[in-house]
Amino acid sequence: MKITEEVRISDNGFVFNSRTGDSFNVNPTGLELTKLIAQGHDFDTIKSLFLEKYELDDLTFEKDFYEFIALIKHHQITSQEDPLDFK
Amino acid sequence: MEKIKYDKPSISKINAGMPSKFGLPVKQKVISEIDGIKVSSLIEEFGSPLFVISEKTIREVYADAKRAFENRYPKVQFAWSYKTNYLDAVCSIFHDEGSWAEVVSGFEFEKALSNGVNGSQILFNGPDKSKDDLIMAIKNNACIHIDHFDELYLLIETSRELQMKARVAIRVNLDAGIYPIWDRFGFNYENGDAWNAINRIMLAESLELIGLHTHIGTYIMVQSAYAMAATKLANLYMAIHRKFDYWLKYIDLGGGFASKNTLKGAYMPGNETCPSFDDYAEAISNALISSEIPHENLPVLFLETGRALIDDAGYLLTTVIANKRLNSGRRSMVIDAGVNLLFTSFWYNLGVYPTRELGNAEESTIYGPLCMNIDVIRDAIVFPQVKTGEQLVIERVGAYNITQSMQFITYRPNVVLIDSDGKTQIIRKKESLETFKQSELNPKRK
Repeated sequence: MKITEEVRISDNGFVFNSRTGDSFNVNPTGLELTKLIAQGHDFDTIKSLFLEKYELDDLTFEKDFYEFIALIKHHQITSQEDPLDFK
Repeated sequence: MEKIKYDKPSISKINAGMPSKFGLPVKQKVISEIDGIKVSSLIEEFGSPLFVISEKTIREVYADAKRAFENRYPKVQFAWSYKTNYLDAVCSIFHDEGSWAEVVSGFEFEKALSNGVNGSQILFNGPDKSKDDLIMAIKNNACIHIDHFDELYLLIETSRELQMKARVAIRVNLDAGIYPIWDRFGFNYENGDAWNAINRIMLAESLELIGLHTHIGTYIMVQSAYAMAATKLANLYMAIHRKFDYWLKYIDLGGGFASKNTLKGAYMPGNETCPSFDDYAEAISNALISSEIPHENLPVLFLETGRALIDDAGYLLTTVIANKRLNSGRRSMVIDAGVNLLFTSFWYNLGVYPTRELGNAEESTIYGPLCMNIDVIRDAIVFPQVKTGEQLVIERVGAYNITQSMQFITYRPNVVLIDSDGKTQIIRKKESLETFKQSELNPKRK
């Protein structure tokens, strides 16, 4: 899974998708997640980074992570090349 | 290293050029307590979901309605509409405030009697009155509101057999300038049916006609409809006097006043658009006082309003079971109260509120816990992010939800009253397996 080429993400959480013309606001944790995905990190790496940084348990992170992934996929911010990604 | 407080990652689409129909976003309303008692304590003590009734609100709303009418009309009597909420504790508060009882079935009649209401202060409406019901009503000297000719003749026959006089009124249906016209109950004014029924009653020795009744509909948002109805009943009232030299005792304008709930499809919230008690009172009183009826013969004005008197006093406390992201991307949540408890969710956009300030509001769908597709409490509501176990409050559920709730796949919850002293007491117990075992019979097989 990677961030779609046409998507631009600003440091203040504004996301623009020039393919669809849609724009979005992401909150700070959402922005951090998006950037880590854009950098190509996998789920386990992102999880350990988050657990280290935030007051958070692994199950809550997992739940929130996959919900967020589903949402950015729905908004066509990510595209999934390999269907086995994040298996 | 000290860890940072975590916020759930969220993303929201910016809809430029699509402002909210209400303008700028409003502050999310929070209901953390009811009459000074924390929602969390109520749920902890009595479970979730939980119906809560506020006695203080019942008395305040009743006082407001009474003031509105009594300031404008000399003789006003409220009759509590049992079908709206017939929990004994609720009915008793209304009777304590001076309300008579308005019932629509033998069951409700018995309930009113068991609540200590004098039979002569029961208004008996409804299309289904059996012979036994009529006997009970006649013997208790109730005011029987006749719905159709078959009932009229059954009543003549029954009162003759009992050799007792029945006190009656007729239910009149009429065109009050609103749609739909409720013409299925009572006798029609415009086509002369009502006048024919009145003439037949006046000839019946065993019947005493004492009033005229109408119920023009429900959730009536135009007070002028009541003015038109009152005018038509006043015309009949005078026609009876002219022909029979007889003054009836009362005119009953029924119920149907809108509560502050918002109907589905309404553009503006109900609390901003529905007429107040003052608006209804002004329309009705003006119509009666400015009619041909001489002031000294003005009838008692009966009102059977239910919804507008009790809706605000009822709350349903509920808990979030799960959050889900739908295929469409919309957020949804499942709560532990379903449409089987909230019959009014089929026609109202019920107000659902968190018990504390929460962020990340987005358009969401709120589902109940029933294993049925129709179990939708709100199909589109801007709601903050909530976690499993978060407690929510659904307001204005005092009318019809308890009387029309259905038992389905789980037990119906406790109903708790917060009395005027701020004390809580269960007024209907949560169901249990025993509740069902008591009324079920399982035939033995070989």
